[in-house]
Amino acid sequence: MLGDIATLVLQGTMISAVYALIAIGFTMIFGVGGTLNLAHGALIMSGAYVFGVLAQGAHPAVAFPITILVVALLSWGLYQILVRWVEENVVITFLATVIVAVAATEVILIRFGSSPLGMTLVSGAVNLEPYGINARPRIVQFVGFVISWVAIGLLWYYITKTDDGRSILAASMSERGAQLTGVDLHSVRSKTWLIAGALAGAAGIILGSTGGATPLMWLNPLALAFMIVVIGGIGSIKGSVVAAYVIGFLEQFTVTFVGHGFRGILSLVVLVVFLLFMPQGLYGREFAHD
Amino acid sequence: MISTILLLGTVCSTVTGRLGRVAGTLRRQVLWPVGRTLERLLAPIDRVLDPVADGYNRSLGPYFGEMSGLQFGVIAVSVAGLLTAGYWAPMVGPLLGGGLLRTLALASIWAIFAMSWDIQSGYTGYISFGHSALSGAAGYTTALLIVHVDPTLSIWVTGSVSVLAALVVGLLIALPTLRLEGPYFSLITFVAVLLFYRLTTAFSSLGGIPGFGQPDVFTWDPMLRYYYMAIPMLLIALALTFMARSNLGMILIAIRENEPAVSAAGLNPTKFKLWSFMLSSVPMGIGGVLLVGFTGNVDPSTFVVVDNSIEMIAIAVIGGMSSILGPLGGAFLFEVLNHQVLHGYSTPVRYLFLWLIVLFVLVFARDGLFRAIWHRLGAVRGESE
Amino acid sequence: MSVLEVDNLTKTFGGLVAVDDFSLEVDEGEIVGLIGPNGSGKSTVFNCIMGLYDVTDGEIRFNGVDITSDSTHQIVAKGLSRVSQESNPIDLYSVSENIRLFTLPNSIRSLHGGASDEEIREYAARIDIEDKLHEMPSELPHADVRRLEIAKSLATEPELMLLDEPFAGMNQAEIGELAAQIERFREDGMTMVVVDHNMGGLMELVDRVVVLNNGDFLAAGTPAEIAADDAVQEAYLAGEGLQ
Repeated sequence: MLGDIATLVLQGTMISAVYALIAIGFTMIFGVGGTLNLAHGALIMSGAYVFGVLAQGAHPAVAFPITILVVALLSWGLYQILVRWVEENVVITFLATVIVAVAATEVILIRFGSSPLGMTLVSGAVNLEPYGINARPRIVQFVGFVISWVAIGLLWYYITKTDDGRSILAASMSERGAQLTGVDLHSVRSKTWLIAGALAGAAGIILGSTGGATPLMWLNPLALAFMIVVIGGIGSIKGSVVAAYVIGFLEQFTVTFVGHGFRGILSLVVLVVFLLFMPQGLYGREFAHD
Repeated sequence: MISTILLLGTVCSTVTGRLGRVAGTLRRQVLWPVGRTLERLLAPIDRVLDPVADGYNRSLGPYFGEMSGLQFGVIAVSVAGLLTAGYWAPMVGPLLGGGLLRTLALASIWAIFAMSWDIQSGYTGYISFGHSALSGAAGYTTALLIVHVDPTLSIWVTGSVSVLAALVVGLLIALPTLRLEGPYFSLITFVAVLLFYRLTTAFSSLGGIPGFGQPDVFTWDPMLRYYYMAIPMLLIALALTFMARSNLGMILIAIRENEPAVSAAGLNPTKFKLWSFMLSSVPMGIGGVLLVGFTGNVDPSTFVVVDNSIEMIAIAVIGGMSSILGPLGGAFLFEVLNHQVLHGYSTPVRYLFLWLIVLFVLVFARDGLFRAIWHRLGAVRGESE
Repeated sequence: MSVLEVDNLTKTFGGLVAVDDFSLEVDEGEIVGLIGPNGSGKSTVFNCIMGLYDVTDGEIRFNGVDITSDSTHQIVAKGLSRVSQESNPIDLYSVSENIRLFTLPNSIRSLHGGASDEEIREYAARIDIEDKLHEMPSELPHADVRRLEIAKSLATEPELMLLDEPFAGMNQAEIGELAAQIERFREDGMTMVVVDHNMGGLMELVDRVVVLNNGDFLAAGTPAEIAADDAVQEAYLAGEGLQ
C-alpha cells in the first residue's frame, strides 16, 4: 500500500511534467489566435518519428535539437500555408487542422507502416525496490521530466522577461490592446506557432522514447492537452502546469488503484465538472465586456 | 534566428499569394468560359423543365424547398438513378473496378451518417467529433442483445432498442455539453469518443478489439443488400430535408450565425440545439443498425474509432455543410472515389488523397462541391447571383 | 403603474464594480432617457435587465413579476425587448427573413408557424423599411441596418422596449426621422427606455432622464432640469462634455 503510494507519487510527478509540455503549446496557440490546433497531436507524433529516424544514424544529442527544429518549422509551416488563410473562421480552422492530423497518420502509415517505431534517447533503468518502491522507472522517464521542466522554464523566462516574449503574452490577453500598443499580430502568431512546434517536438521525443511511435499516437496527447487547457484556463501557462499535475495524478491514481481500463474516465468526470461549474478554469480570465 | 525564419515566412507567403493569383487567372481563363458554355447548353433544359418544377414548387415547395427547372431535373434523375442502381450498377461496375453495388450500399450508410451529422453540426455550428459514438452505441447494443439476450431476436426489436440506445448516448453527450461554447463542445465530444473507444477495446465484455462476430448480415444478395441500405437512406434524406427547410432549419442556422440574436428573438437556443442533437441521434442509430447488417461484425475500428467521426465530417464538408443533400452527394463521391476510382492503391494512400481533397475544399470552396453546383444549376439563366 | 422596476441593482466583474446599487422605475407609456458618460454602466444595466449578465445583487421586476434570474428568451417572451448597440443581423437572411426569425414561436413542434408576409411588412412599415424587405442586410446603409434592428425588436411584440444608443452613427436628418418614429411607438402605447451618452437626440423625445455616473445613480428629472444640473455638468466635464 505504502509502496503503491510512493510509486504513484513518483510516476505521477514524472508523467505530469510531460503532460504540461504537451499542453502548453496548445494553450499558447489557443490563447493568442483563438485557434484550436487539432493538429497539435500530429506535431507531437511527427516529433517522435523524426527523432526515431534521426536517432538510427546520429547520436541522440545531435538528433534531439534537429528534431525540435524540424517540428518547429513544420508547425510554423502549417500556420503559414494553411491556418492563416482560414483562421478567421473557427469551425473551418478546426476542421482543417483535424484533417491535417488524419492526413499525417496516413503519411506515417505509408512510410512506416502500422507497427511501432522504437527509439532510444537514454537507456537503462533504476531499481528502486530497495527503497520500498516497487517500480523500475527507466532513466528516460527522469530525463523526460528534466527536459519538460527545462523547456517550461525557458518558455517562462522568454515570455515574462524578454520584449519579444512579452508581446506574445500581451496578444493573448487582448488582441486589440496589443495591436494598439504596436504589436504585429501576424508575426506574434507566427512566433507562437514556431514555439508551440518546438515544445511539441520535445514532447514527441519523450513520448516516442518512452513508449515508441505509432501512427495513432496523436490522439491521446491531443485529448490530454484539451483537458489540461480547460482545467488550467485558456492561455495560462501556470494553469496548464497545475492542471497537468492534476490530470497526471488522477490518471496514475486510477491506473494504480482502479484498473487500467478506467484510465481517463475520472479525468473526463473532472473535465465535465470544470466545464459546467468553472468554465474559465483554475487560472483563466473572467471575461468582462464594456 | 527567429527573424531569419520570419523572413523566410514572408517569402513563403508571397509564394502562396502568387498561387492565389494563379488560381484567380485559372478561374477567369478556364472555369468561367467553361461555366458560361455549360450555362448556354443547360438553359433550354431549365426552361423546358420549369413548368414541372413550378407544379412541385406550388405543392411541395414550401415543405422541401423551391427548385428551378434544372435543379428539379437533377434531383429527379438522381433519385431515379439511386432507385434503379440495383439494375444498372452491376453492368457499369466492371468499368470502375467492380463491386460498385457494394460501394453504393456503403455510400448509402455513410450518407445517413453525414446527413445526421449535418442536421446537428453543420446547421448549428456546434461541430461534433463524437458522432461515431452514436452509431457505435447502436451497433454495440445490437451485438450485446444478440450475444447476451437472445440470438433469434427480430431485427425490429434489436433495431428499435439500438436506435433508442443511440438516442440515450446522444442525450448523455448533449445535455451537459450543449450549454458550452462551440469549441468546448467540439473538444468534449472528441474526448468522449476517445474514451468510448478505450472502453470498447479494454473490456472483454464489450468484445475487446476483435468485437462481436455473432450478428448476421441482412443478406448476401448484393442487390437486395443495396436496397436495404438505400431505401432507408432516401427516407431519412426526405425527413431531414423537410426538417431543415422548416422553421427549425432557420433557427439552427441562426444559432450558428448569431446565437445571442436567437435568444433576443425569444427562442431558447439550448432547447433547439438539444432537439437538433436528438434529431441527429435517431438516424445515426438507424445507420449504426444498417452498418451491423452490412458488415455482420461489431468492433471498435468499424464503429467507434474517431476516424469514423472525421470521415463523416469530411463527407459533409466535401458535399457542403448545412444542406442535407450536399452531404448525401458527398458520401457517394467519397465512397466511389475511395472504393472504385482509387481502388488500386493501398488504404493509406487512398485516404491521404481523400483528406487532401477535403483540405482543398475547406480552403478554396467552403460551401462544398455539391452546394456550389446546386447554386450554379439554380442560376443558369442568371436569375440570381 | 410601474412596468419595469430595478431595485438596488449591483453588478461586479471580479473586483470591478460596474453598477452600484442602482434603482430605476419606468411607468407605462413613458419614455425614459438613461444617460451617462462612456463606461458609466448604462449598457451593463441593460444587459442585467435582459438576463445577459448574472446580477450580483438586487432585483428586477417586469409588470410586478421577478425576472432577475430569467434567461433572455424568457424575458423576451414576457414582453421586454432590447435593441442592442451593435447591429448584428444574420447576413445569410434577407431583411424579411431576419424579421421573421423574431416572430417564430419558441417551440420545436411549430415547423411552419411564425408571421405571414403581410405581418412582416407591417412590422417593417412601422419603421419605414417595408420597401427593403427583399434586400440583404449587407446591402443596406447604416441607418437602415439600425432600423432593421428596431423592426426585429418590434416583431417580438414588446410592451417595453430598451433602445441602446439608437442614434449612434446617424446624421442629423436621420436622427430627426428616427425620433419621430419612436414618438409614434409611444402613441401606439409602447413604453421605452433609451440609452445614450449625449442628450442631443433625447431632449425633445424623453419625459424623464436618469443619469448614471461610474455605475452610480447621479440625478433624475426632466430634460430641462438635467441640462441645468451642476452635478451632471461636472460628471460630463470630467469626461467629454455635455453636447
